[in-house]
Amino acid sequence: MDASVVARIHNFYWSLGTVAFIVLGSYLVGRIAQAVAGARGVGVLQRRRVFWGYALASPWLLGFVIFVAGPAVLSLYYSFTDYRLGRSLEWIGLDNYRVLLGGIGAQGRRFMQAMYNSGYYAIVGVPLQIATALGMALLVARPLRGMSFFRLVFYVPVILAGGPAILLAWRYMLASNGGFVNVTLKRFAEALPPFDWLYRSFIFAVEAFNAFFIGVTRADPVGPLMYVLPAMLGLGLCVLMLVAADAKARRQVARTAVEVLGAVLLVLLLVRAVVGGSFVPHLHERLRTFVELVTLRTSLLEPGSGDYLRDGFAQHAASPLWLLALIVALCALIGYGRPGTQLRRWLLGGSALLFGFLTVGSFLDGVRYFQAFDAVAAATGTPQHHFALFRQVSAQFPDANRVPLWLSSELWSKPSLVLITMWSSGAGMLIFLAALKGVPRSMYEAASVDGATSWQRFTLITLPMISPAMFYNVVIGLIAALQTFESVYIIQNTQTEQSLASAAYFLFVRTFRQLEIGQGAAASWILAVLIVLLTVAQFRYSRWVHYE
Amino acid sequence: MKKKVLMLVGLMALLLGSVNAQRTLEIYITGLTEDTMTWFREVAFPAFEAEHPDVIVDILTGGWGDFDAAVAGWITTGSGPDIVYLGSEYAATFGDLLSDLDPYLADWDELGSFLPAALDVAKYDGHMVGLPLLMSPRPMFFRTDISANAEAIPPLTFADALAFVAANSAVEDNAMTKMGFMDIGGGLFDAQEFIGYIWSAGGELYHADGSSAFDSAATAEALQFMYDRRRAVQPTELTAGLPPISGYPLASGLVASGIFPMWNMPPTTDPLWNDIAIGPYPAGVNGAPLVQVFTDWLSVPAYVQDKELAAAFLKFIGSRDNAIALSNVAGFTPVRTDAWEELRANPVWDAMLDAAVDYGRAFSDIRASAELRPLIVEQVSMFLSDQQSLADTQMFLKEEYDAILEDNGYL
Repeated sequence: MDASVVARIHNFYWSLGTVAFIVLGSYLVGRIAQAVAGARGVGVLQRRRVFWGYALASPWLLGFVIFVAGPAVLSLYYSFTDYRLGRSLEWIGLDNYRVLLGGIGAQGRRFMQAMYNSGYYAIVGVPLQIATALGMALLVARPLRGMSFFRLVFYVPVILAGGPAILLAWRYMLASNGGFVNVTLKRFAEALPPFDWLYRSFIFAVEAFNAFFIGVTRADPVGPLMYVLPAMLGLGLCVLMLVAADAKARRQVARTAVEVLGAVLLVLLLVRAVVGGSFVPHLHERLRTFVELVTLRTSLLEPGSGDYLRDGFAQHAASPLWLLALIVALCALIGYGRPGTQLRRWLLGGSALLFGFLTVGSFLDGVRYFQAFDAVAAATGTPQHHFALFRQVSAQFPDANRVPLWLSSELWSKPSLVLITMWSSGAGMLIFLAALKGVPRSMYEAASVDGATSWQRFTLITLPMISPAMFYNVVIGLIAALQTFESVYIIQNTQTEQSLASAAYFLFVRTFRQLEIGQGAAASWILAVLIVLLTVAQFRYSRWVHYE
Repeated sequence: MKKKVLMLVGLMALLLGSVNAQRTLEIYITGLTEDTMTWFREVAFPAFEAEHPDVIVDILTGGWGDFDAAVAGWITTGSGPDIVYLGSEYAATFGDLLSDLDPYLADWDELGSFLPAALDVAKYDGHMVGLPLLMSPRPMFFRTDISANAEAIPPLTFADALAFVAANSAVEDNAMTKMGFMDIGGGLFDAQEFIGYIWSAGGELYHADGSSAFDSAATAEALQFMYDRRRAVQPTELTAGLPPISGYPLASGLVASGIFPMWNMPPTTDPLWNDIAIGPYPAGVNGAPLVQVFTDWLSVPAYVQDKELAAAFLKFIGSRDNAIALSNVAGFTPVRTDAWEELRANPVWDAMLDAAVDYGRAFSDIRASAELRPLIVEQVSMFLSDQQSLADTQMFLKEEYDAILEDNGYL
């Protein structure tokens, strides 16, 4: 008998068996539900309804249990085991999580880098994608002739974007030498000097940012620069609370900060507890480093006195987590405590000064920290590998012959992926377009009568009215960004694989290429929890969304 | 009504009985051309079915991209094809999950005609876990007509190779206009190639105690050679590459030498071959030139019930006649030396086989290859792009590969 006929007969049997299973399973679920209803003393008619209700819903319930819930529970169990396909599994508790969250060993390091990359796609990619979608929606919302054609043109990439053929076309278009994009940019740059300046500034900014990002994700120590962001955050919050319109607004800022930063701090401390690590050693040195930064001693008063090259600078400096804890404590006091007006002003003013000095001190010291490594390299004539790419690209403004290296360099691989994602922003555009159509014309007419400018109409009418669409696009975009996989899989090459690898790509490689089911499962649960937390946070802080 | 139901059940049982009377042999083939698949379907399978009338042979196809996920799925469910096509380095990765074929193949008298290095590729823990099918020597190719110092072809030492690449590379306006060397992926670094240079520098991947030998002088020499060659072609990491090449890179006139699989080279009947020379990888100070030989082979997963039937198919497809026919259609070299006569009539293949015989080393015994590759890519890329010192690169390679070997039970 022909093989295809045999296959069809087998398929027929499988289909028959599946249908029989669903029917039988549904019947059993209905019967169980009916029995439970009977035990609760429900009447005969109602019991019959219960039977049919559960029996008819069961195909979906069974499918969910068998294909979603079951494997999910199993993967949670695997995540606590050392399970490699073909070998027996061994219970290892939190070890997989410890390795991944602590960035321990090659796999931990790669996972952390993949998480950073996913974070990049979310923080840089999603806003750009939403801005593009909104821009396109505003363009095609105009009632002009032939606009449906442009809507089609803008939407087609959504269908095509993930296709290998289209990604291959992007490979050609983004070729660093002779590719359509670079040739076009270069022609413009040669013809228009102001564009040339912008173009080279763009190259400089992208390369410097990505080179610094690469250094950070490779765990190159950043020295005192690690305090800059939390110190700026503290300063910003203090200023916000100082200039708040009234006590209610001030408490609102403080309480939101406590909730958000407190949750972040809690998660980081939990991770730290899982990974293991001590907060106490070198307490005296850590305090001294902190005081030196705040008093600007090493950056301004006695420049060059900081011993940046001592082994393991980071180990002798206080963790930025302490700074975060300090900010949370301050906000908790303002938001939930009842300090007197005078005490509150002193507290906020003093804290603003402290954070301000710390921002300046840690930034200036951070710059000196890098200069110290350069000085050693220059004196010894040996290459200095600490943030090598960043120091290479930031050493001088790009020459006229420089071009973006798009898919061929790790400096440009992530921006390339973001660019391709932006190109396929049509789905978001469609959502925005529907929302724009729903904004009543009368609002714009009334605003025009009141003398509102077009910018005021956009910010005060359009944006609030389409905020539900914006919220939807942000939530969906963030989830999609954190799950980025196909495009990474297709456009990566030997040179860019590590710099493009997302968390989803990491777990694919770990599970299906290296057959390490246990660690792959742990990675997937970390990613799932992160997505859930971020989504919950977005819903929690969606007060900016205006529903009519 | 009952009669009708009973008749339907009876009919289905009859049908099921007739289906089960046939044995089905499923073969998963990866990455071969459609012509090769057609040959399997229209020539090889009918011939095997004629010899085994109760057997139906079917083919499943896929690319290397889907391969890992597909194999993982079969192994997890314990259900999948009876024969799986594997690449050179997979014996170490899947060895535990494959059938020991010694009871079926060890006494096969034709085994002596197979190239021993090819047979080694399909061995795990001293046992045969498959049969080699096709071989692909991977030498270096040189364009003699566009090379500045054609008389130096083929360069046989790292120093000569560097001089050749430097003389044949050009950069204008911060963009490459000619590459003295291009690797198999179209760039300047490939993990398999790196292993080749360690070998040609006189080193090995493992010490006698089984630990990683990335701390060896040969590894340092290989890394330094690859770094110097990269800088000869691409002066800085900010230099743009060649314009996109459509077609065969070596035929473009923009590439003077490189490592390519035969499917990325012009057909052997192309006149361009008059200007293409074949040579081995250059050697380090204490090493010898070599040509890496990749062998694809057929394995039988451990879950397969009828191993005897699967082994019978391996013997059938591995016969001399089938080896010649398959080689002609697939464009690879047969793994049986008694099938080489016809191939040697073609001067290109003749030179390829000479290079394989003179310099060949099987790409085998790569332990935990699925985890080694990303480690090499990560660490060597950082060294080649000035982000890590040579000493640190060797240290990380050694430490982390030892950890992988230990985790995988090799240490």
